[in-house]
This record gives sequence, structure tokens and C-alpha cells, in this order.
Amino acid sequence: MSRFRPRWIALALLPLPAAIAAVAAFGGPPRSADDRFGHERHGRLFPECTTCHLGMTETGASVWPDPQACANCHDGTVEERIEWAPRSEPRASNLRFEHLAHAREALERNPADSALGRQCTVCHTALGAPRMAVQHAVVGNCLECHQLGPSHLVVPDTACARCHRPLAEAVTLSRSDVAAFPLPPSHEREGFALGGHGPLAKVELPGGRFTVAASCATCHARNFCITCHVNAPEVQAIQALSPDERSLALSAELPKPGSHGNPAFISRHGREATREPTPCATCHTQESCTTCHIGVLPRVVTGLASRQPGRAPGAATRRAPPATHSTGFMDGEHAGEANSRPGACETCHVRPQCLDCHRPTSARGREYHPEGFLTRHPASAYGREANCSDCHNPGQFCQSCHQQAGMTAMGRLGAGGFHDTRRAFLVGHGQAARQNLESCASCHAERDCTACHSAFGAGFRFNPHGPGFDPERLRRKNPSLCSACHGTAVPGRP
Amino acid sequence: MTPRALGLLLVVAHAGATAGLAQGYRLRFDGRAQSVAFRGVIADSLLAVQVVTGEGGGLITPDGIAVRCLGGTYCYFFRPGPERRGVPISASASLVLWGLGVAGLSVHTTARLITDLGDGTVWPGTEPAGQLLEGYAQYERDWLTVRAGRLLRASRLEALGFDGASARARVPRYDLEATGYAGWGLGLAAAVPFSSPALNPLDEWRPRDRQLVAGGELLWSPGPGEARVEYRREVDPQTDYFVSERAAVSLRAHALGPFRATGGFDYNLAEGHVGSADLTATWITPRLTLNAGARRYRPYFSLWTLWGAFSPVPYHAVHGSAQATATAWLQLRVRGERYWYQDAEASTPLVQVEDKGWRFGAGATAAPNERWTLDAGYHAEFGPGASSRGLDAMVAWRLGPRLSLTGYGGALERPLELRTWDATTRWVGGRGEWRALASGRPGWGLLDDARLWAEITWFNEDRDRPDAAATGFDQLRLRGGVTLMLTSSADRMTLPPATRRRDP
Repeated sequence: MSRFRPRWIALALLPLPAAIAAVAAFGGPPRSADDRFGHERHGRLFPECTTCHLGMTETGASVWPDPQACANCHDGTVEERIEWAPRSEPRASNLRFEHLAHAREALERNPADSALGRQCTVCHTALGAPRMAVQHAVVGNCLECHQLGPSHLVVPDTACARCHRPLAEAVTLSRSDVAAFPLPPSHEREGFALGGHGPLAKVELPGGRFTVAASCATCHARNFCITCHVNAPEVQAIQALSPDERSLALSAELPKPGSHGNPAFISRHGREATREPTPCATCHTQESCTTCHIGVLPRVVTGLASRQPGRAPGAATRRAPPATHSTGFMDGEHAGEANSRPGACETCHVRPQCLDCHRPTSARGREYHPEGFLTRHPASAYGREANCSDCHNPGQFCQSCHQQAGMTAMGRLGAGGFHDTRRAFLVGHGQAARQNLESCASCHAERDCTACHSAFGAGFRFNPHGPGFDPERLRRKNPSLCSACHGTAVPGRP
Repeated sequence: MTPRALGLLLVVAHAGATAGLAQGYRLRFDGRAQSVAFRGVIADSLLAVQVVTGEGGGLITPDGIAVRCLGGTYCYFFRPGPERRGVPISASASLVLWGLGVAGLSVHTTARLITDLGDGTVWPGTEPAGQLLEGYAQYERDWLTVRAGRLLRASRLEALGFDGASARARVPRYDLEATGYAGWGLGLAAAVPFSSPALNPLDEWRPRDRQLVAGGELLWSPGPGEARVEYRREVDPQTDYFVSERAAVSLRAHALGPFRATGGFDYNLAEGHVGSADLTATWITPRLTLNAGARRYRPYFSLWTLWGAFSPVPYHAVHGSAQATATAWLQLRVRGERYWYQDAEASTPLVQVEDKGWRFGAGATAAPNERWTLDAGYHAEFGPGASSRGLDAMVAWRLGPRLSLTGYGGALERPLELRTWDATTRWVGGRGEWRALASGRPGWGLLDDARLWAEITWFNEDRDRPDAAATGFDQLRLRGGVTLMLTSSADRMTLPPATRRRDP
């Protein structure tokens, strides 16, 4: 390994970038046939543009020079021979512009300037450039003459169609041409993708119908809208656009709406969707909802479109527990949430999931309680870390198991001496009993207590009633409760 | 198989056949079994003249077990009981049907068959053999939901099962929902009435007739939160006396930025006191969740028992917890609670018992990659009656989307306050789980999901006492289960692979 130190490898690779740069600068593929004619070099030879491009000003003439005319000089003797032929296909463009019509209209507007129609440099050279430093139409010159503003991409959205055809009509543009469309600054404004573009794209027609703004149609077709809009078939402006696969060369990135990042969004979204489902229907299909919503779907969900051709696939959603569902949530913290609004739980959970714990089968494994809970359960049950009777019937579960384990009562307290850490527990059990009466009831029957506490029969008449006991109220609600210990001699009964 | 179980099976089979008529259905089948053992005590006695004095001066049996003598002819003691082994096995089916020809109509059923293959009904909750947990028809419109059949209502006033009907009306304009229900009640947390012998192993007094249940709820849910008021009464139809009468208020606020709050209380109208209550505030951020709150717990007893007349006292508690995402793969958690009982007004100098307690737990979960998850935790609780503390750890290994293996182990100590019977338990085990379908993928025809799992755990337990009743036993606990989910495609369409357009 010592022979292959990193620095030697780095030195060995050092020439590689230089080689790549050299190839890029001096080598590479031969010049393409689309390379432009060297107008400046021929400037003194051709004082008039129409010498070669007569067709731009005269109907029926060719817009390109005759190759034979070039060969008069480029014959291999005077100048090197060249191979050139005029382009047979129209130039890839989405411009509405036609030279003859433009010249004619210009002259009609300003008949005094008879040279206007022949001044090619007005459009084809930059301001202050030499006459033959020509290029494709200088957009800034168009904007200046037509008073559309200082920069191409900040012209009013309504002005695009003055010069440009809709994408679907610009059949000469390739997919890569479309991909090279510049991005207007307006599209980078915050909120443009998430609804800001909607009002701009809609143009109201007489009769309350809508069509799409011509500016949108310049660069986009229906296919592009369908990448995001689930509700595309229902949006008139989108339907007004022609379909065109090339529009997919432009990609849109739809950010998650700010409201969706709110920790409370999961709990709120149902209410908001019920009140105003239209915004949801823009990006979401039913499948967006059924990632989480199970069972019988809410009506607002069934109102959404399903995934199908002609619509966007819909924003992908991921089933994840809400932020409230922390590690301790299942242990007991969920009770508050579930008690306040059980319907919220039923959104993602089906009843059997609740019943798994709240009506547990004895054959289940450890799922709610941790391993070893059989040993640990006295500590949890005495202090009621959770309410055992939320899930277990005290008789069916606690008493029957304690009975199997030999721990149910044998009669009057104290005979067996189960509570052997307190020798006088029989006479001092009151505090422990009032604190943990449910634990007492998991082993003892009521008759174990009435043996001493009953006010008639063999009872010793030890008064069991403690703080907060309201005999009058209990007598009104259920006098049979009183009769169990007091017989017919219930204190206070007339 | 009892006639009731057979009837239940027929109901489930009929429901399955009906599924063919419905446009949409969801059926979950669960089969589970476990082999489990425990060891209790046997109450015994001997003649007082046979008792001997032990090394420490206490009275013991000739074979060394401490005895309790009250001056009578006999002395009493508990000797270690035999090992009891149960093998409960259950099959549950949960079925939802809709698309039954009436818009908004659906049928919901959850039923269970259970028995113990061991020596008798050793393990609790295996009777009756057939249990219908829920079974109702539901009709839902924009503003109304009506249910009829065997219903289970989740509530602050404890989940209540009953055979009857409920109706819920919604007024969205005012964010209101009103619910009313009535029927014949079931036993607490049970699928049978409280008059069933299955709920009364100690042969206590029970009313002959099922209680009549009626109640109502009003939910107001404006944007920032919810408020819910409920009332419930249960009446013995034979005597026309109350079995219970309670009301509750629940509140929830969730429009406070990262803060949420829930709370509420119940009031026992029959006995005239506040029952349990709680208030919890939660602060949630992506990396940290904090919980703090207070609660009060007071047990509730029906008026056909005498327990309420013994004036159980509530305890009050404050608690807090935190969960932090320390790194992308490490989560830390800690929680604690301190509680104290209200004065029971029954203390005596002869017997002092604890009236305060606390609980604490801490742990960490590490998931360094999608395959491995490690978890370790510690808990300790000290309180009246019993305490415990222990450690446990787990490592899980996911072998792809379908198979996962888990190994775990732990140990805990558990002293009791009122009995000399400290216990120490150690365990080690493993679990394997196989899912037929990767989550989120299209199902195999009707089968939407299938899960098969098996688990084996070895326990070693020592029951420590300073006499010959000290004992211990080892057990091998075996568990296994299968879950099948069958659905129509009506409610969950085949999803394309989820691709997030941009990370949140």
C-alpha cells in the first residue's frame, strides 16, 4: 500500500484537466453548417443587404443569395472554395414576424420614410454597432420601437402574443428549443407557482367562460399544466390550451404550501378541506388522501378526482405519524387527544387497532405492556399509571387471574396474613384501602369488607365512609346501596 | 364449541358471504396464540402447636415458612403454589362493508373466538368463548350519522359497550356536533353484560338485569380547538335506581403555533364529587417535543357495588416528558411523574403506608440505517403498594421490506410494600416477523396485507423472602400470530410509488 500514496496519484492525474481543456479549445467537432455567414468580412463587398436577401423586400424573390454567385469569388483560385446551400427548412422560431408584412405595415404607418422598409440594421444590429455586425433580430430594438419596455422578459404578460405564436403553433421548435426558453422574473416571485399564476392565466370571456392568457400559451401547453394540476379537466383555462408534448421540456417544481408545514396542519386540514375543497383539488387526488385515510372515506375525499389520464398524478403524500405521536404517546398521552376528539383518530386508525389494546385478547403478545409486565404490574396497578379498566374488566381479568394464583380473599381480612409486612394491617388498613381500593377489589369481594363494616347482621359497624361522602345524594340516587349495610334502618331515611 | 360461539361463527360467515354483495369491504383476520406460565401461592394452615420458632425469633412451619398466629387453634401461611400454564388461542375478525346499495350505509363487525388449550382456564379473559365486540350498521349523510347494533363508545367516561343506537348530527356552520345514544349496557371493558358469570369470579352480588344506558355529547370545534361536553346515565331497570350518572368536559387547543393543550375532567353526579382530571401542554418542534401537565386520578365504581361507599381518595400528579432528536439517527427520551394521595383520613399509628410516589423513565433509540434499530431504556417507579425498577434493551434487524428479526432482553426488580415478596425477573427473547407484502405496494388480488410472526422468550424469576417460601421458576414463553387483511379496491386504490417533489 505504501507505493500508492495519494499524492502520487494526484500528481499523475494533474495533467488530465489540462488535456481536457486543450481538446475543448482546439479540437472538437468540425464547425456545423449552421455557422453564420461572416457578414462583417464581406461588409465592403455588399453595400446593400438586398444584394443577397432581396426576398426580404420583394415578393417572389429569394431571401438567400444564389450559391453560384458566391462561387464567383470562392472558386478555389481567388478565394478558397466553399460548400454552401441555402436552408430549405424554415428557421426554428415561434415568432409571428414576416419581413414583407412588417415592412409593409411600417411603411403604411410612416409613408414619409420610404427607406424604413429597407433599413435592416434597425432590427439586426445592436445600437451603435457597425452596419454589417448583424445578428438575429435584436429583441431590445423590437421592444424599443414598439414601446414595450426596457427588457424582453419583463414586458407585460399580455404583450408576449404580439410577437410570439402559441407553442402548439410553433411547430418548428424542437423540444430542446423549448427547454432553452428563458424564465421570466415573474415566475420566480414567491407564490407564483402556488396560485399566483392562476389569476394571470385566466382570461374571462363573454358569458362567464374562461380561456388562457396568450402569454402563457407562448411557452406552455396543456401537458405542462397537467404535471401539477389534478383538476386540469375542470379548469377551462387549461382546457383552452392545446396539448403538446414539447411543453414537458420545461419542468415545474411545486413547493409544499406553507400551511402544510405547520405542526397543526394534520389536525386542521380536514376542517379546511371540508370548508373549501377547491384548493385541495388542484394538487391532490383521492390517492393522496387514502395514503392515510382508511375505511369509509370522508365525503370531501370522495369528491376529489381519482388518478387517471388527463390529470396530474397528484401530490405524493407519505403516511407518517403526526408530531404528537411521540414515544410516550401510546403509553397514555394519547388518552387526552382521543377523549377530546375520537373522530380525529378514526381518520388514520380503524377500530380494530384500538380494540387490539382496549379489548385485548388473552392470546396476544406484548404489544402495549413491556416485557416482564407480569412481574411489574403491581407497581403500575397500585399507582394507576394508566387506568387498567380502560382495557381490562376487573372481574374477568384481575380477579380471575388472582384467583388462579391463590391470591383472592378467604374471608375476613387478617386471617391469612397475606399482607405480612405490617403485623397490624387488619386494624390499620384504612389508608391503604382508600388509596388503592381498586387493588383491594382485585382480590377481595365486598363481603370481606362488610363482615366488619356492615351496620347490621354480624358486622362490627366500623364506619367506612370517609371524606367527601354524601349520604343524602347516594340515598336519592340508589338507596339499595345503603340497604346493603344498613338494612331498613338507613340513617336519615324517613 | 358453545352454542354462542357457534352462532357467532355463523354471523361472521354470513358477513363474509355478504361481502360478496357489497362493493367495498375490508376484512382483518387475526389469529394468535401463546403459551404462558405463572406461579402463585396456596393458602395453608397448621395447628398452632406445630409451629416452631425460627432463627430470627419468628414463628415458622416445620419446613421453614413464616406463619401468622392470632391466638387461635390454627396458624396461617402461604406456601409456593404450583406452576400454572395456559395456552390461550384466539381468532378475531373485523369486517367493514359498504356500497350496499344505499348511499351512506355500511356495516361494521368485530368478533372473536377464544379458548385456552392449557389446563383449564388458567389465563384470564378466555371466557366466554365467543365475543362480539362491535357489530352495527351505520348510515351516514352530510349532517347525520346513525348507528344501530352493538356499539362501543370511546369517551372520557371510559369506553362503554352497549346494544342500542346512536345518532350524531353535525352543524358545520356553527362547528357543532351533537350525539345521543341509548341501549342496554355491557360490563366494563367486556363484551358481555356485567351479570355474566365470566365477570364475577368471586361470586359477588350483581343485579339480574342489564343496565339501561343513555347519554349525549355536544362537541364545539371552532378553528383553534375543541370543547366537548358529555353526560351519561346508567339505570337499573328492575329498581329504576341509578347505576351511575356522570358528566365530563374535554378541551383541546391546537392553534397556538408549536403549542398544543388538552385537558378535561369528569364529575360523578351520583356521588357528588369530581372524578379524574388532566391537563397537558405539549410543545412540538421537529427536533424536540416537550410535555408537561397535571392530573388527578380517582377510581370510579358503579352504584351496584359497595366500593364507592368506602370513599376512595384521589391522587394528584404533575408530570413531564421530553423527546429529542439528537441526530438524524438518534432519539432520546425522558419522562417523570410525581404523585401524592389526598388525605384518606384513615391513618393509624399502628400502620404507616406510603402516600406519595414517583415514576421515572429514560431511554434512547438509535437507527443508524434502515436495517438496524437499537433501543435501550431504564425505568424506576416508587409508590404506595409496590415499586419497580429495571433495564431493557432491544436490537431489530430488517432484512428488506418483508422480514425483520428482533432480539431483546432485560431485568427488573419489584418489591411490594404490603407483602414480603420481592421479585427479580430477567428475560431474553427474540421475535421474527414476516410480511407478505411490502408496505404501500399493491396487494395480491383481494389480499392487501399478510403478517406472520413468532416469538420466544425465556424468563427467569426469583421470588425473594427470608423464609422457605422463597421460590423461583423459569418459563419459556412462546407466542405467534398471523394477520390477514383482505380488501376490495374500493377504498384504497393502487398507489404509484410515492415521490416527494421537494423535501419539506
